[in-house]
Amino acid sequence: MSNRITNFFNAKSFCVIGASTNLLKPGGVVAENFAKDFPGKLFLVNPRGGTHIFAGKEYTLYKSVLDIEEEIDTAIIIVPAKFAPQALEECGKKNIKNVIVTTGGFAEIGEEGVAIQNRMNEIMKTYNINVIGPNCLGLYSPALGYDTMFLPTSKLKRPKPGNVSIFTQSGAFGAAFIDQLARLGSGNWIARFISYGNASDINEADCIEYLGEDEDTKMILVYLEDFKNGRKFMRTLREVSLKKPVLGIKANRTEAGAKAGASHTAALSSNDAIVDDLLQEAGFQRVITWDELEDCVISFATQPLPKGNKVAIVTDGGGAGVMASDMVSDCKLQLAKFSPEIQKKMDEIFPVFYSTTNPVDITGSASAKDYEKALEAVYEDPGVDAVVNICIPSIPNLDINEYIEITRKIASRKEKTFVTALIGGEEADYAYDVLLKEDFAVFKSPGSAIRAVGRLVEYANYLKKRGKNL
Amino acid sequence: MNVQIKEIFEKVKSENRKALLEHEAKEILRLLDLPLPPSKLVKTEEEAIKAFNEFNGPVAMKVMSPKVLHKTDEQAVKIGIATVEEVKETFNDYMNRFAEKEVVGILVEKMVAKGVELIIGSQIDKTFGPVILVGPGGIFVEALKDVVFRMCPCSLEQALSAIDEIKTQKLLNGFRGLAPVNREQLAEIMSKLSNLAWEYREYIGEMDINPLIANSDGIFPVDARIILK
Repeated sequence: MSNRITNFFNAKSFCVIGASTNLLKPGGVVAENFAKDFPGKLFLVNPRGGTHIFAGKEYTLYKSVLDIEEEIDTAIIIVPAKFAPQALEECGKKNIKNVIVTTGGFAEIGEEGVAIQNRMNEIMKTYNINVIGPNCLGLYSPALGYDTMFLPTSKLKRPKPGNVSIFTQSGAFGAAFIDQLARLGSGNWIARFISYGNASDINEADCIEYLGEDEDTKMILVYLEDFKNGRKFMRTLREVSLKKPVLGIKANRTEAGAKAGASHTAALSSNDAIVDDLLQEAGFQRVITWDELEDCVISFATQPLPKGNKVAIVTDGGGAGVMASDMVSDCKLQLAKFSPEIQKKMDEIFPVFYSTTNPVDITGSASAKDYEKALEAVYEDPGVDAVVNICIPSIPNLDINEYIEITRKIASRKEKTFVTALIGGEEADYAYDVLLKEDFAVFKSPGSAIRAVGRLVEYANYLKKRGKNL
Repeated sequence: MNVQIKEIFEKVKSENRKALLEHEAKEILRLLDLPLPPSKLVKTEEEAIKAFNEFNGPVAMKVMSPKVLHKTDEQAVKIGIATVEEVKETFNDYMNRFAEKEVVGILVEKMVAKGVELIIGSQIDKTFGPVILVGPGGIFVEALKDVVFRMCPCSLEQALSAIDEIKTQKLLNGFRGLAPVNREQLAEIMSKLSNLAWEYREYIGEMDINPLIANSDGIFPVDARIILK
């Protein structure tokens, strides 16, 4: 694989330029991260020299990267912007080909910063260095022991290894979402995280290409504000989305309105109208609000794709069933019509006042056992592509732990999309927390649960349309 | 690149014009094998009558002049001309009113039977380069805003999916007795125009094919506007 990001993650030796002895400072955090987990060789540069103990081991602090004799594959520069060009030039002289610059204070702050960034760009070209940044968090991969995120682990919690990869233009978005994922479910989520900031060199097109090829990555989550290489990004995305789901946020939706032109076409060409259509055509699931992202992670990373759009709903509350049914049509889904055998079976096992047609309403008289019978029946129906398990636990005969156990058992089968919505107070929250901790697709409203199914169906439909067999 | 197409662009450039005249734009579409209604650029009344008789049916007559770019606003378009008398009248009216306007000729064009009005257009986006759009067209196009974009060049498959994403699908499926739009043919036109916008991106800044009329005989570009960069 020839992608330039590969060399960053595959580094056998790594150097922190600006390794602070203060473990709360960015340079100290990164030095400590690598000392603790990085399996390769680690070198630290600090102009004061001497030695310092990181993660229980003593390290030499080199005054310059040029004082190091061994070869270095990748370096990170965490020094104030005004010292960054010199640091980068020394990397060039030392023949380091991959450099992450996390420091801010470049093009994003205006004229003065632009001048420094231009200087950096010249050095980058002269020495043929691949640069990630500046103004970013850099890279994170827990399985590779690779963590340039300079925020202390006491503040920014790290998700453990998993199969979701993220690339983000905004470091702040990246930090917040990483922190969110660390406490979402089991916390086992991240394969690769790339925060590329100002994209002076490596940009969104490199990221999508790299993660598309990366075998540890099963789904890709994106935060973008604009494009550095829009054409290449869209072309690559179109290939990658056939292999794995790509979803996320393209913010800055109101950035540029259509310009008044001589043609109708110019008048209709607002930037976001174009972006939205191109993303959709390339198979990108565009999410608009931040709060939907976690729902997407939990559903795309844990659920099999539905074969069709036929949904079965089981609920103990009529109102929840009606709202869920409305959402089914809003999300271009359909309520499944049960097969005669399944229908007959449910009619036999349930009292007449249960509503056994879809949405199945097992009413306020329901027990956990009733949930089991109803959920298993609809799960078995070949005409059902996805099952929505809605529970308002405040009814008298429902033992919440028994309900959790039943949900766990059926959800673990993973033959079909299976989502659960828990609605109510303490008991609902309790069941939600228990199930979520185990990475089951569980939500706090019928709407969110069905919207998640809708997203999965939308992606499945896209794949079918592009000729993929599910 | 097609030599003849390139020549048209070069000629317009050499005359310091920003926009192609309609007959020039249509000549390019003809060179792409797009199904244009029969038309003739005429300079005399006799030629106009001859064209009218040849087309055997109502015609539209339009003034071709670099000084008359908003033809409808300046009443330089007349449609549904059905008699020799009207042809003469229109011709002479144009010659009088636009005498000072560097008229290159009058375009006599066979009227296209009523159908669904569509638009295909292209422009150069600062992020994605040449992009193309398709959707319901006609005079309400900017109010409806029901267009779908693709990057140029776009394949037949990409064009078809764009047509499927148009929101007002009803309009394409045989609305109020009109013939359903032939999606494959529309996609082919879109794909061809996207190739044009891509291959000649050094020349073409904006392009509007509006309306493109889809009727039971096919899909016909009725007005075409190409503006140079």
